[in-house]
Amino acid sequence: MRRAGIGGLLIAVPLALALLGPLFVPEQQNRRAPFLPQGLLGTDFVGRDAWYQVLAGGQTVVLVALIATLASYLAGVPYGVLAATTRSRLVDELLMRPLDVLLAVPSLLVLILVAAIAGQGLPVLVGVVTLVNFPDVARLSRAAALEISGRPALEAMRMQGESWWQTSIVYTGRSMLRTLAADVGVRLTAALYLVASASFLGVGVPPDAADWAVMVDRNRGGLFLQPLTVVVPALLIVALSVGLNLVFDRALRKVRT
Amino acid sequence: MSLASYAARRVALGLVQVLAVVTLVFLVVQALPGDAAVALAGDNPDPARIAQIRAAMDLDRPAPERFLEWLIALPRLDFGVSLVSGRPVADFLFGGIGPTLLLAALTLALLVPISVLVGVLAALREGSLLDRALTSISVALHSIPEFALAVVLIAVFGVQLTWLPPTAVGADLLAQPAVLVLPLVVLLARPICSISRLVRAGMVDALASDYVRHARRLGLGETRVRFAHALPNALAPAVQQVARTTDWLLGGVIVVEAVFVIPGLGTVLVDAVAARDLPVVQGLAVVFAVTTVTVNLLADLVAFRLAPRAEVVA
Repeated sequence: MRRAGIGGLLIAVPLALALLGPLFVPEQQNRRAPFLPQGLLGTDFVGRDAWYQVLAGGQTVVLVALIATLASYLAGVPYGVLAATTRSRLVDELLMRPLDVLLAVPSLLVLILVAAIAGQGLPVLVGVVTLVNFPDVARLSRAAALEISGRPALEAMRMQGESWWQTSIVYTGRSMLRTLAADVGVRLTAALYLVASASFLGVGVPPDAADWAVMVDRNRGGLFLQPLTVVVPALLIVALSVGLNLVFDRALRKVRT
Repeated sequence: MSLASYAARRVALGLVQVLAVVTLVFLVVQALPGDAAVALAGDNPDPARIAQIRAAMDLDRPAPERFLEWLIALPRLDFGVSLVSGRPVADFLFGGIGPTLLLAALTLALLVPISVLVGVLAALREGSLLDRALTSISVALHSIPEFALAVVLIAVFGVQLTWLPPTAVGADLLAQPAVLVLPLVVLLARPICSISRLVRAGMVDALASDYVRHARRLGLGETRVRFAHALPNALAPAVQQVARTTDWLLGGVIVVEAVFVIPGLGTVLVDAVAARDLPVVQGLAVVFAVTTVTVNLLADLVAFRLAPRAEVVA
């Protein structure tokens, strides 16, 4: 109980800043010299007010992680179910073996390589994080669907001549929901981790973007002058990640008991 | 299945994986927009000059031919020549591999004993304060981005308290071990959590199992039951997780090297991608892929040896 309270609080602060923050950023901002002790947190590496950058910079991290997680489910679940329900062993192998290769490459390497080809931009970042998360989702859905398709209930439905829609989509889909729900937290935190790390390494976002991870990277030069310009965005990312883990862990326990 | 036949199958699979990854990397790099010749020509994109550079670098020959040549040269550790500096790619790899191996080896050397110890202690006193603290902390720390943790630690211990050097700029890693403390803490944070939890779960299961009860009934000493009978079975899943963390470790090493300015393979990779130095990127990808596949292979074999009855995914 207490842990979920802490987790909720840890999420609430960065999430509120990320979603509502952009509303409070003034249109007109005058630039000063870098790393001056002016404003709430001082100025950043190009002289912008770091507090406004913090307000504006959470949106991309949170949205990209959310969209990428959603996309990896939209792609991975049908893929896995298709592999599980197909009658041909060959199709199953053809669908699943390439994923082993993808899983054999370190995810950050995939991310750096693909981003190097596809160039910059948030859609690219979403695409790469989806690509990295997708094999796990596909494997999980295949395993879940395989288990369900062997159930007596489904055999009975088939013998009664229920339609493919009823057996494969309605029944299997509904039965898989629990397994998938238990996995959402892991995927979301993994996506958040990848998005933040990628942005920090300068992959996928422009170097002066208002983004917490980019802020941490760019303002490191002023760590001795204005440590808050680095520490505040870093702490917000840490809080978001820790909070997500605590909340999803608690939700999972509740489902199990 | 005997260990030998399992090993043979596993090695064959590993070879196929390496080959597939290497092919994939070549194709991906081929797909990079504006090939190296365009990048090298720079501000002066004169078509004649670009064609000249292409011919000099053999880029005008068909891709399959170049791929075969590159592939055949790989076992001889000939990765080609850097586009930017003209030095052999192998030089870059050997230059960067020292710090990275040092970091990885130190991390693993600390990771395994610490996480096994913590996991076993938590399992032996199930429900104790240590057990509950371990669970809470490991849930919370799981998947914190390394760079965020690193920067916070640098700000506290490097800048405010000045106990430890904030970066490793220009430092000799072995002569000044203090520069390694923060990077190692950052690299260890995530894997210690996941592995000690696995050891704990495996140990709790093993201690409640029939064979442990039987060993106790035979009158074997508690220490022997715990460490000679229960522990090996508890370790099997953890060994495979250690291998999976090499993936994390590698990603973590790239980030940690960037944060602490350590001139390892991660730094080489980031620089090479920024400079579009394709042969170097290709070479690094091969090294990373071979490492990951090898470590996973070894881990599967060790897990098979520790608990031969356990179902090991081939």
